[in-house]
Amino acid sequence: MIESIAPALGLVLDPTVLVVIAAAALYGMMFGSIPGLSATMAVALVVPMTYFLSPMAALAAIVTLEACAISAGDIPSALVRIPGTPASAAYAEDLYQLARRGQYERALGTCIVFSVIGGLFGVAVLALFARPFASVATWFTVAEYFWLYVLGLGCAVVVSRGSAWKGAFALFLGLLLSTVGLSAVHTEARFTFGRPELYQGISFIPALVGLFGMSEVLRNLRTLGRAEPVPLAVAVAVPARRSSWDAVRAVFGGTFDLFLRRPWQTLQASTIGTIVGILPGAGADIAAWVSYGVSKRTAANPEEYGRGSLEAVADSGAANNSALAGAWVPALTLGIPGDSITAIVLGVMMMKNLQPGPEIFAKQAVLVHGLFIVFVLANLVLLPAGYLAIRASGLLLRVPRRTLLPIIVLFCVLGSYAIGGSYFDVGVMLAMGLLGFLLERRQVPVGPVVLGIILGGPLEERFIQAMTASGGSPSVFFARPSAAVLGVVAIGVWLLPALGAWRARRRAVPS
Amino acid sequence: MRTALIALLALALGSCAREERFPAAPILIVCPWSAGGGTDRVARQLAVLLEQDLGVPVNVVNATGGDGVTGHSRGALARPDGYSLTLVTSEIATLHWRGMTSISHRDFAPVGLVNRDAGAIFVRADAPWRTLSDLAQAIRDAPGTLRASGTATAGIWHLGLAGWLSTVGIKPTDVIWVSIAGSAPSLQELMAGGVDLVSCSLPEAQSLLAAGRIRSLGVMAEGRVPRFPDVPTFQEQGVDWTLGTLRGLAVPQDTPPARVRVLADAVRRVVEGDAYRSALAVSGFTPAYEDPVRFGASLEEIDRRLGALLLSDAFRGLAVKRFGPMFFPAVLVGALVLATLGILLAGDRSLPATGADGAPSAASAGAAWRFTEVLLFVALYVALAETAGFILTAAALLLAHLLRLGTRPAVAVPLALTLAPAAYHVFAVVLRVPLPAGMLGW
Repeated sequence: MIESIAPALGLVLDPTVLVVIAAAALYGMMFGSIPGLSATMAVALVVPMTYFLSPMAALAAIVTLEACAISAGDIPSALVRIPGTPASAAYAEDLYQLARRGQYERALGTCIVFSVIGGLFGVAVLALFARPFASVATWFTVAEYFWLYVLGLGCAVVVSRGSAWKGAFALFLGLLLSTVGLSAVHTEARFTFGRPELYQGISFIPALVGLFGMSEVLRNLRTLGRAEPVPLAVAVAVPARRSSWDAVRAVFGGTFDLFLRRPWQTLQASTIGTIVGILPGAGADIAAWVSYGVSKRTAANPEEYGRGSLEAVADSGAANNSALAGAWVPALTLGIPGDSITAIVLGVMMMKNLQPGPEIFAKQAVLVHGLFIVFVLANLVLLPAGYLAIRASGLLLRVPRRTLLPIIVLFCVLGSYAIGGSYFDVGVMLAMGLLGFLLERRQVPVGPVVLGIILGGPLEERFIQAMTASGGSPSVFFARPSAAVLGVVAIGVWLLPALGAWRARRRAVPS
Repeated sequence: MRTALIALLALALGSCAREERFPAAPILIVCPWSAGGGTDRVARQLAVLLEQDLGVPVNVVNATGGDGVTGHSRGALARPDGYSLTLVTSEIATLHWRGMTSISHRDFAPVGLVNRDAGAIFVRADAPWRTLSDLAQAIRDAPGTLRASGTATAGIWHLGLAGWLSTVGIKPTDVIWVSIAGSAPSLQELMAGGVDLVSCSLPEAQSLLAAGRIRSLGVMAEGRVPRFPDVPTFQEQGVDWTLGTLRGLAVPQDTPPARVRVLADAVRRVVEGDAYRSALAVSGFTPAYEDPVRFGASLEEIDRRLGALLLSDAFRGLAVKRFGPMFFPAVLVGALVLATLGILLAGDRSLPATGADGAPSAASAGAAWRFTEVLLFVALYVALAETAGFILTAAALLLAHLLRLGTRPAVAVPLALTLAPAAYHVFAVVLRVPLPAGMLGW
């Protein structure tokens, strides 16, 4: 292992590779910070260009691109409450509330720093334990995936602010919306009303932009007084002139203390992220949700979660970045993609005549070690790139609402249109905006709706696939030890709110 | 302000003589499958090379879902001006037989075939079956116990398996088909022991084959595939069955023949060129080329064969019966009712309506009107963008909205005039995400 590190370093420190990393960082930051454009799309778009690059440079481009895009997805969350990529949806509300309290720079600085920590943790797992961990993926049949999705959905209910019933309501609504269109396990479509566009169901990117972004625009429009221009962020405590050191401290100051105060939680979040990332079919977005749920259960101040909690932001931010590296574990060792990005990576690797599989660590040792180094570099480059993006985007906070709102509307339209080039999706975005607005008027959280739309299809598919494979016997969900364990955990998560309510009642009775 | 708006709109709607040169504007390739998948990779490779050949931007848009219905319908119903191509896949030959759409290959004018791959049957390396006849015997001995996957029910690889079983006299329903969308998750399920065999193309299973974790019992091609010389064909094993996917570019039926010829020539040059052949071959697909006439005949042939299979008795009764499409929605409606009851019983109806930040909020004057306005602006954008292009429409509507909300013209006018072209440039040129070019686009 040691002998291949020096040549690997040589491979990475090639000027072309370094230029590619810088360019990919910039490109990834742009892609991530524009709502509606996902990290997957960013990677898919650079694939034809990677044909002209060396294998090392091609992999470096993709690794840097995904890390930067996922982290930059937090910027529009804080700015206008639209998650830049679905991986930011779990904690968008917290970031936005922090920004509104004047902690824009600190909140995003925390995101960046913990993304780096999570990312580096994920690389460490990838580099040291890829082979033993890869076997986890081969235990998972459809029954285990069914429980994994039930677990992810349960976390959304546990984390929802306020009443768990309302969280559950939002989740079921999202799941119901996900049943529109043709599922992978049926031969006839549902609820399409004769519109061919609805065959594909309600696309989640337009839904995400509508539920988070457009609904916030509508809420602001409702209270907008034409005479009193109120900046979107009520109290941006950024002095007009300050030294560059102060500026850096405003962004990153305190994040190290936050880490030192709770290193175990950060480790826990990164571990969750990496494991969820290793599982095929569950990526950075689910990692962020599960980590948020666990973080809230183990937090000292769970009531702050959803109202602007730095701890929530730190843990979910670490989890979604560590999931990225986790997804490479089954991709490198088995040729099974851990998420949609590594699915593209496998294509690129084959294009470069790199055969993923257990032998890759022996046959391509130099390249694989180069890949680990690139992962580390990509995470380190996040610090300056993220800092610049935060400073530049922070200027937008000073724009008054009456000017900012029309621009947000434009970007909502663009973001919902761009992913599939469909005007129907613009309509979906608008409808979801109205739905989100109405739900929030009744204090029903919109996050679980998005998760329901994302996970509804896979959940139904896995259920029916497992039942088909077992010939209709529900015992399949507990037949294997791994399924039984996951099943018990998943059901337990769903019962947590009930348990909490029961305990609260018991405590209330004596007093 | 109003006159400026009217002038802009008039400019947008006014006729503008387009050059006769073709192509003179960005071309779009509709890919019916998602970003990052195999078809998408082929589409993006073609886009890059066609762009070099034709000298105009060529972009890919993924219109996914409904087993390909969305993308194929979108491509077939696009304006027949030669600027919208569709990367048609074999599913075009099954969708209309399955009654999912009325769109078929007859709604397209073929431009050129770009790739073909034959199907194959895979089992785990530790499986007891060595040949196709071993496997067929195992199915005959215990009908209804072996589980297979590779694609969704009635997808191309399901048809491949069913066709083989029918050919050797076994009812396709004697193998349980687990409907899993995509070959990668199906192969993972094979590894995990959830299914016993997988039907998909050889390149899709390349890594697991090379790692020795799975074996292929045969490929449904007419001869052995050069990159997989050890895999015998079905015909070598005495089974007369072949099936494969095809991919090719097509335009809507009414596209002017002169433009189809320009595109067909470009596609031929690209597909027969070394760059395309090596890019495709190393990424695991088999490059192939057929001109419009031969590609049309191939589409006709696969349509006839798959239609016969789908309508045969053998394929009836494969639909999922136990959990029909309405099972899951019905459960969810029940859950929603339960959650609503829970909310009502928990009794927090009494909470005052507050903003997301927890502060009580009240609507300010004119709120209803501002709502209507936003809806109107978005609707106008949808109505106008395709004809007038993104830049004009976005600039005009953004300006109108800014002014309506009370931004001073001195701020609003320069903002709208710079933001719209800047956004267009970033999306269409830097990020390669196509926006409607219309009149002012580049």
